[in-house]
Amino acid sequence: MLIVDKLNVFIGHDKIVNQVSFNIKSGEVVGLIGPNGAGKTTIMKTILGLTKFTGEVKVNNKKVTETNHHALANVGALIEHPAIYPFLTGRQNLELYSQQSSDMDYLIAALEMNNYIDTKASGYSLGMKQKLGIAIAFLNTPQLIILDEPMNGLDIESTIKVRQLIDCYAKNGTAFLISSHILSELQKVMTRAILINDGQIIMNQEVTKFNHLIQQDYKVMTENNSLAEAVLETKKINFARQDNYLLVKPQNLYQIQDELLKQNIHLREMSPVTADFEQIVVNILANQREQHD
Amino acid sequence: MIINIKQEFYKQRHKRIIWFIPVILLILMIMALCTLGYGESKRLLMTCYDAPDWIMFILVIIGSTMFSMEFQNNAILTILYKASKKLDVYLSKYIVVIIYDCFLHVLAIIFTIGLKSITMGTTITWTTIYEYHQPIWLNMLNTMLIDLLTTMLIISLVFLLSCLITSNAIVITTSFLVIFLGQAVSANLLNLGKFVNVLKWNPLNMVSLTRQYYNFAMYYSTTHLENVQIILGTLGYLLIFFILGYMIFRKRKFY
Repeated sequence: MLIVDKLNVFIGHDKIVNQVSFNIKSGEVVGLIGPNGAGKTTIMKTILGLTKFTGEVKVNNKKVTETNHHALANVGALIEHPAIYPFLTGRQNLELYSQQSSDMDYLIAALEMNNYIDTKASGYSLGMKQKLGIAIAFLNTPQLIILDEPMNGLDIESTIKVRQLIDCYAKNGTAFLISSHILSELQKVMTRAILINDGQIIMNQEVTKFNHLIQQDYKVMTENNSLAEAVLETKKINFARQDNYLLVKPQNLYQIQDELLKQNIHLREMSPVTADFEQIVVNILANQREQHD
Repeated sequence: MIINIKQEFYKQRHKRIIWFIPVILLILMIMALCTLGYGESKRLLMTCYDAPDWIMFILVIIGSTMFSMEFQNNAILTILYKASKKLDVYLSKYIVVIIYDCFLHVLAIIFTIGLKSITMGTTITWTTIYEYHQPIWLNMLNTMLIDLLTTMLIISLVFLLSCLITSNAIVITTSFLVIFLGQAVSANLLNLGKFVNVLKWNPLNMVSLTRQYYNFAMYYSTTHLENVQIILGTLGYLLIFFILGYMIFRKRKFY
């Protein structure tokens, strides 16, 4: 569906995007993750032919260039802020881009916008505008939808509705490229994550594989933790205390087991600490910084 | 391109001001009738009660807001990626303003016919010979046609300024300065007496096209250009402003 190959974007003399390559297949939901200024929005804008670039962007095997957007006929997008005309009502904003009214009615119902859709958009709250912007991106059943921070300003119910909408469209073959700072939300919908920093891709993995990419700590509880601590200290094995547990590194697990058994200290519990996605990303970025330093 | 034009029409159609403008135009035309009075009846008919000046005023505001509304609401990004080419976006806006321009001119003619029948009755007939040894009805039609050209030049200038300057207020002010003071600046320039043959082709001189057509004797002495020359100059600058405006729009970065 989408092929991005060796993408480079310069703003002035600064290289904002550096040799970025990735593909997205139909029905895939890909999260574009990275710190502020990493180049996420620039990549999205470039795919939409809004910036100058070198490399290649193809949608449905058709090339996208800054001057030719024919390939984008079946692409929906929400970039930065929702593109809404305040003098039009919500429905009129949708009508402006809509090719089929049934599609429009479905989106109004799915995002629960019935109550205000016929009032002027100038009076909309941030969340209402955001939902309208999302609805515009989903209009005409696009083959590829690009969403930049779609959950901005949305309440919990609306966030769930948007997630359901993404799921539903993805099941019908729509490909998604989504960036969000709310990683816990993104984690619930995305099938693959592309981690980007300083305009370069650091990681491009299935979400399920991310957990194995970093060393997770293990939490250990023994019959006698204070004795166990003394043993670990004597053997110079690193550990940390957390509530009633000792946090240890996975590479030390077998050694710890052996040493504790030698002292006749029995284990009550030993389990991996469940890594949350945000922490994984933070750790990966921190590791990258350390390597650079 | 057709989709872009349709979208542009849709947006303009839903702006309340667009539907008030004909009423405003009529009020301004009646004001011209009241202030100039019957002594200038023939001139009033030829100029559709000063409609060219009012239409110019209206189009500057409409034209400048066409771009500013896109930049203010960030809608420009959506329009640009949805359009096949940037030229489609620029051209569709231009076409829609020109069509609205034509609509206002037709409306001005209709209002003139109505106002004449109410206020002048049969004291002056449409067949009365007036400027250029032509009947007044022909004078009026020619003035409106020529004014279409002048307004197209102004729209091109407004579009060029809108792409150069982000502030809508500055675009409107600059355009008004060109329209209403440009002719005076140009006249002062030509009064210096040097390089008149070159300086008479300055763009500010072309803004006087309509005024010169309905008041040749007065304006020829300041523009130093024949009607045909000023028409050719207007066409030339119209093209230059349009191309320049589009080139700036194409190069402009929207981030």
